Amino acid sequence: MISTATSSNPEAATTQGGAAPLVVSGIQKSYGQAGQRAAEIIADITFTLGKGEIVSMVGPSGCGKSTLLNMLCGITPLSGGSVLWRGEALAGMPQRVGYMLQKDLLLPWRTALHNVSLGMELQGLAQGEREKRAHSMLNKVGLSQFHDYYPSALSGGMRQRVALARTLAIDPEVLLLDEPFAALDFQTKLLLESDMAQLVRREGRSLLMITHDVEEAVSLSDRVIVLSHRPARIRAVHEVDLGVDRADMMAARDSARFTEYVRTIWSQLDVRAVTA
Amino acid sequence: MSQNELSIRTPLRRDVATGKRKLRESAGVFICQIALLAVLLGLWEMATASKALNTFLFGSPSAIWGFLVKMWQDGSLVRDTSITGLETILGFILGNIIGTLLGLALWYSRFVSRVVQPFITALGSIPIIALAPIVIIWFGTDLASKVAMSTLSVVVVALIIAYKGAMSVDQDQINLMRTLGARKRQIFTKLIVPASLGDIFSGLKLTVGFALVGAIIGEFMSSSEGLGHAIFKAGSLYIIPKVFAALVATIALALVLSFVVGKLERVLIPWRQHD
Repeated sequence: MISTATSSNPEAATTQGGAAPLVVSGIQKSYGQAGQRAAEIIADITFTLGKGEIVSMVGPSGCGKSTLLNMLCGITPLSGGSVLWRGEALAGMPQRVGYMLQKDLLLPWRTALHNVSLGMELQGLAQGEREKRAHSMLNKVGLSQFHDYYPSALSGGMRQRVALARTLAIDPEVLLLDEPFAALDFQTKLLLESDMAQLVRREGRSLLMITHDVEEAVSLSDRVIVLSHRPARIRAVHEVDLGVDRADMMAARDSARFTEYVRTIWSQLDVRAVTA
Repeated sequence: MSQNELSIRTPLRRDVATGKRKLRESAGVFICQIALLAVLLGLWEMATASKALNTFLFGSPSAIWGFLVKMWQDGSLVRDTSITGLETILGFILGNIIGTLLGLALWYSRFVSRVVQPFITALGSIPIIALAPIVIIWFGTDLASKVAMSTLSVVVVALIIAYKGAMSVDQDQINLMRTLGARKRQIFTKLIVPASLGDIFSGLKLTVGFALVGAIIGEFMSSSEGLGHAIFKAGSLYIIPKVFAALVATIALALVLSFVVGKLERVLIPWRQHD
């Protein structure tokens, strides 16, 4: 549960204990009944998401990236390994974790404002407080004029902005994103990436993003984890050092080392094996 | 955001243009419908006037009109129509409330829904007319038995529609609610119920017809008033134009009821895009 006391200052709640927000060790996932030969989706994945870090995972399509994300937030049970949120074993849904997908998943019967306040409503915040915060969240993502619009009247980029505002409105310590910008056109995507990078970095949140877009991963992240084809293993880890303002996606993409990272990661992605 | 504002205005301007075109098209459709009806009635009238069709067996538009006027004047048209309308509306409301509540409630428990599924299928496969004798024994020959027949013809359909609607909610959407901290009851009230409303309202347009069928069948079996009674009695006495006159009233009642239900949907689901 979030409370109004911690919401105004994200620092206060995250410093306690000092454990990394998310520690994942040796998690596995396979489907199938006992006795039958199980289909192994995820073989062995270990990584740590530090406070304020932006980490991306890239992998060939169909490598089980979305399954991985669902395992981290307790939607899909693990077959092995452990997930520690703030040093505590995963039990049910982790608290203060924001989750965002390629689909905006806005509720069509709610206006932008009431979609953003949904999480706070579920957690029992008073109406006045949650509307105030939803207002300021929508302003932050650049939708100050569109509070009372239904999703059907908004463009794809605007809907995804509302989804981002909804994710941030519950004051998450960690954001888990699954291809959040994949359905958007290039221009809108760059704008949204920049806005998100700013919001996340300014407020010291951690972010784990799953994507198939190598350029997006490199321009946005402090670290890029490359996954192998199914069953997914970690193939390589790159600390990304571009030497520019990391909230500016154009600068990141223009930087000298950007192309080098992208090329190296591409070569490790093993895309030709996918169609086999 | 200027680019985004633009993308909002453009479709609006296009809407006005397509709106005008659609209006002109609907007017054309309406005129053709009236013309088709006039031609059919004209042919019918001519065929009976020239003795090509037997008036005693087939009636004629003018004779039907005559009976409509007569039934209007002696008050039976209004009385029978309002009786059948009342039965239909009560059955429609009861059947939909019971069916929808049960259908939505089944979402709650996968286990219970699996247990009752064959029973629902079995109930749904019973022809409603086969229940009439039991219903009359249980509910008598007055209003209650017609309302019960009407309710029965609605309830299973409403249940299945509501259950299908509840079960077709996107799993990602449910997962999202869970990550936002929703409990099962909250997922139900804030997601499943509103998300199913679209299907439930589409179902209303369907079940309003079933409700009328149930009421008419109830009146056929045993009654002293109502449009079903009028049709049955006139049919037994071989007064064919009167049968048709009561049928016309039944059709008019059905059209009015589905029109009202359609309007209701627009008022209650304002976020839905209507074409």
